[in-house]
Amino acid sequence: MITVREVTKRFKDIKAVDCVSFNVKKGEAVALLGANGAGKSTLIKCILGLLSFEGEITLNGLNVEKSSKEAKSLIGYVPQEPVFYDMRALDILEFFGAIRGVDMGRIEEIVNLVGLREHILKQSSALSGGMKQRLSFAIALISNPPILVLDEPTSNLDAYARAEFLKLIRELKLQGKTVLFSSHRLDEVEFLADRVVVMKSGKVVMESKPNVLAETLGLKVRMYIKVPTPWIETATDILKREGFGAVTLNENTLLLEVTSREKTIPLKKLLFAEIPVEDLSIEEPSMERIMQEVQGDGI
Amino acid sequence: MEFKNVLLIMQKEVREALKNRWFIIYTVCFSILALLLLFFSYSREEILGVSGFGRTAASLINLVLLFVPLVSLVTGAISISNERENGTLFYLLSHPVERSEVFTGKFLGLLVSIWVSICLGFGLSGIVVGIKGGSLGASKYLLTTLLSLLLAVSLLSIGFIVSVLSKKAAKSIGISVFLWLFFLVFSDLGIMGTTIVMDLGIKPVFVLALLNPTEVFKIAAVLNMSPRFEVLGPVGVYALRSFGRDGTFYLLFSAMILWTVIPIVIGFLAFTLLKKE
Repeated sequence: MITVREVTKRFKDIKAVDCVSFNVKKGEAVALLGANGAGKSTLIKCILGLLSFEGEITLNGLNVEKSSKEAKSLIGYVPQEPVFYDMRALDILEFFGAIRGVDMGRIEEIVNLVGLREHILKQSSALSGGMKQRLSFAIALISNPPILVLDEPTSNLDAYARAEFLKLIRELKLQGKTVLFSSHRLDEVEFLADRVVVMKSGKVVMESKPNVLAETLGLKVRMYIKVPTPWIETATDILKREGFGAVTLNENTLLLEVTSREKTIPLKKLLFAEIPVEDLSIEEPSMERIMQEVQGDGI
Repeated sequence: MEFKNVLLIMQKEVREALKNRWFIIYTVCFSILALLLLFFSYSREEILGVSGFGRTAASLINLVLLFVPLVSLVTGAISISNERENGTLFYLLSHPVERSEVFTGKFLGLLVSIWVSICLGFGLSGIVVGIKGGSLGASKYLLTTLLSLLLAVSLLSIGFIVSVLSKKAAKSIGISVFLWLFFLVFSDLGIMGTTIVMDLGIKPVFVLALLNPTEVFKIAAVLNMSPRFEVLGPVGVYALRSFGRDGTFYLLFSAMILWTVIPIVIGFLAFTLLKKE
């Protein structure tokens, strides 16, 4: 559905996107992950046909540069920070609806779908960040395009609206829409994406399934194990002997870092030594840690 | 290019322009000043015995020279750059519209808005003169209106070039105000200075005058109004002697057309070929 082939975008001497290639299949959701300046937004602009570039991008076989208009009609785009003309939300929807050749019935339907009914007669400047995001989502969906390109789409939403929004996107994905989105949030990536494309300094440095991304990056999960106070030293010694860097946090809690696959081993070792485990909590690598790793020299 | 999209963007531009308070102020000022000039023309007419559209149009020429270039240049200059800066252009272009449709729609929308305000100024004065029974010089009045509309197209196109090539609205406004001063003041001073320093003959001075659209408008409008050659100065006398009255007017009219077509084409090509978003 989306084919990005050896795309390079230069701004004078700087390569913002450097020979990037990847595919997004029909019905697949792919997350673009990377720090600020990694080239995600530039790549999205290239996909939207807004920047000239070297290489080739096709949407459903249509070249975005040669058949720009036809290719763009396949895309519903939600920007990171939506900006609209100073008109009423309804007028804006009608304007973009008319450009995409949809009728008023569809506008009515989409307004209800994204929960914009109460705000439809407000000027765009009077809408909150969340409502603006809903409006841009309504515009993106107005012509029912097969591809959704979302640039950090939930950045302006509160927790409730974000959950609703993600649920809606997932439903649309399940209905067969192809989704390409950029995000800084691992929970979003895990909730929505079938695959993650990690970008750094304009290059794709890794492609991975979201649930194994941290592991692919070599990041470890943190295990907090609670044992009775008299057993704390013995437990620490056993785990250290087995090669786990266990640290005593307090009189009855141990902290150790293990790979995702090794999570059960420390428990087995403790139980084998007949040390009672009172509680256990596991902390997956945070997005901050993943982003630090992505930005660092490791990859 | 799809006409439907051009029309949609054009309608949006007209709607926005009609809501723009600066545009409303300009239109009101232009109309009021046009009526005031008409009033003073009639006051003098009673003393001098000169009547009709001709004197009103002559008064309006100075008003047009002041207002139309400024508004057209600035409006054109912020048209693209402002939208580029606030992100609405990027968002619009992410939809299935061609850059050519955006340029054409925006240009036509703003042109219609400026033309409406010019026609309102000329129209109100024309109606008042008509009601008062003055019919002398109606064709000259209409021709002055037409020249003013052409001047607006020309300077709006130049403003669009500035806008297409500027990333920031503030920069494009600065450039457009400088161009306004250049066309209205510096150009005249430059021609006079160059003539004196380089000891230029009349012919090069006439050619230099053609390189300024406001100068072309001024000469054409004065030529349209005045039956006498001398009011155009030595350059006008040279032109009239070389090309005749009709020839000079057609030459100036052609120069005005060129001043509209060439900047439009340059602006259009620059916007469609240079992707700056």
